Amino acid sequence: MISTEVTKHLAQLSRLSFKEDELAEMTNQMSDIIALMDKVCDFDNNVKTYAPKEEKFNNLRCDKPRNSYPTEEIIGNSKAVRDNCFVVPKVV
Amino acid sequence: MKLKELRKKLDNKEIGAVELTRENLDAIKGDVCNSYITVCEEEAISAAREAQLLIDSGKALPMTGIPVSVKDNICTKGIRTTCASKMLEDFIPPYDASVVEKLKSQKTVILGKTNMDEFAMGGSSQTSYFGGVKNPADTSRVTGGSSGGAAASVAAGLCAAALGSDTGGSIRQPSAFCGVVGLKPTYGRVSRYGLIAFASSFDQIGPIAKSAEDTGYILSAIAGRDENDMTARCGSEDFTALCGKLPKGLKIGLPKEFFEGSDPGIAAAVSEAAQSYKELGAELIECSLPSLEYAVSAYYLISSAEAASNLSRFDGVKYGHRSADGDSFMELIENSRSEGFGSEVKRRIMLGNYALSSGYYDAYYKNASRIRTKIKAEYDDIFSRCDIVLTPTAPTTAYPIGFQENDPVKMYTADICTVTANIAGLPSVSIPCGADENGLPIGMSLTGRYMDEKLIIAAADAFERL
Repeated sequence: MISTEVTKHLAQLSRLSFKEDELAEMTNQMSDIIALMDKVCDFDNNVKTYAPKEEKFNNLRCDKPRNSYPTEEIIGNSKAVRDNCFVVPKVV
Repeated sequence: MKLKELRKKLDNKEIGAVELTRENLDAIKGDVCNSYITVCEEEAISAAREAQLLIDSGKALPMTGIPVSVKDNICTKGIRTTCASKMLEDFIPPYDASVVEKLKSQKTVILGKTNMDEFAMGGSSQTSYFGGVKNPADTSRVTGGSSGGAAASVAAGLCAAALGSDTGGSIRQPSAFCGVVGLKPTYGRVSRYGLIAFASSFDQIGPIAKSAEDTGYILSAIAGRDENDMTARCGSEDFTALCGKLPKGLKIGLPKEFFEGSDPGIAAAVSEAAQSYKELGAELIECSLPSLEYAVSAYYLISSAEAASNLSRFDGVKYGHRSADGDSFMELIENSRSEGFGSEVKRRIMLGNYALSSGYYDAYYKNASRIRTKIKAEYDDIFSRCDIVLTPTAPTTAYPIGFQENDPVKMYTADICTVTANIAGLPSVSIPCGADENGLPIGMSLTGRYMDEKLIIAAADAFERL
């Protein structure tokens, strides 16, 4: 069983917020889920952690300059744009 | 009708590409399963006209004029791609995914974007922000997921074939529930560029169709190297080459743990299907994947850790849902994410951050990674004696809507039969092999060696011909 404090900490790491009733439900659900995940804790730790071998990820493209997407297209999905820049609340 | 037959009809002018497209669009209008999130009527008709010109010129390619659906987590330029989430409700990608580019280069007709579990996280297709998908075989039941809309669109005849994505079974399990064929290619066979990332080391795009040969036919069109995805490292080939020519003396492994964990009716139906391979001269070999008991936990820890990282890009600033509230930068991000993501997505992000956080990383993430190594080694051992592994695709058939979707643990454990192919990066195809007492489809999976799609497609095709 995980505590409400752990859930709050995870929410903070996840950049999520929950109302009080949601927090209680999430704590219960996370407790059940982590109980299922506990299965891995007793696994033989002499086995090496996974590292791809035969899949040699070497399909690198040539390092040549190419055109980027037009700025207007890239920022077109933002809800707040001014002068081709994203608008956010004042930081400093 | 098989895609090769449809190809002939299009080339012989027995049917026109526009006529075929209109037939499918009309069928979509009568859809009772909520299979599509977005239907691209104008674009589809325009693409069909272009396809017809190519056909008329005698230069048609295998997928020219074939009407397909595309899962809504695969980017389509100028057509909204939502991932079935409020977060991306009105997101219009400025580029096509590589698989979409490949299909468009053959003048394939894209009919629309199919419904799914939000961000591909789920096995029911009920977590969609746009409403759940119903199973065409019985509309009171789930389609499975997360590519539920894709599987339903094929099963209900709302397209000739579909593209889905599979991170832990999301192509194969809904294909089994809906009675169609779904292929998860080897990790690295198909480019993931433009697939909205869930778990990058597991995600793979693949076809859903009405026959095994059709899945090979589509795979040939979408596979291949891509300079935008360094893991897409193999070229394409004719994946239907062995259809109708299954090698004699095939050795088929039956790992007992998959059968023991499935409903008795499913285990019996899949065992019976396995026996029928003897008629084709195959040898059945009992084998074991002892670490299966750890597979679900390992899969959820790794995939959620990757999801927590991948979904950190959704901040409400650059694209996606932006909260109207938030006085500070951090508040804006937190509110946007809390309003934009559904419950299951939040649970996965929370679990991923739990597995990665200080004090838990060694016990959870690292051990999950060890299990991944072990499962891969156990598959290597099986494939030293067998050519193919045959298992049930899911431990149950399609269940009633509302039955277990709100119980995360039940939902996660239901992925037991499919996750190991993703953990080991192997190709796997699900084909219908019977029906349960309610007449609901049962799926059987054939998993192959690394990059050996041709053989599993041929074996699935041979079963269909029996």
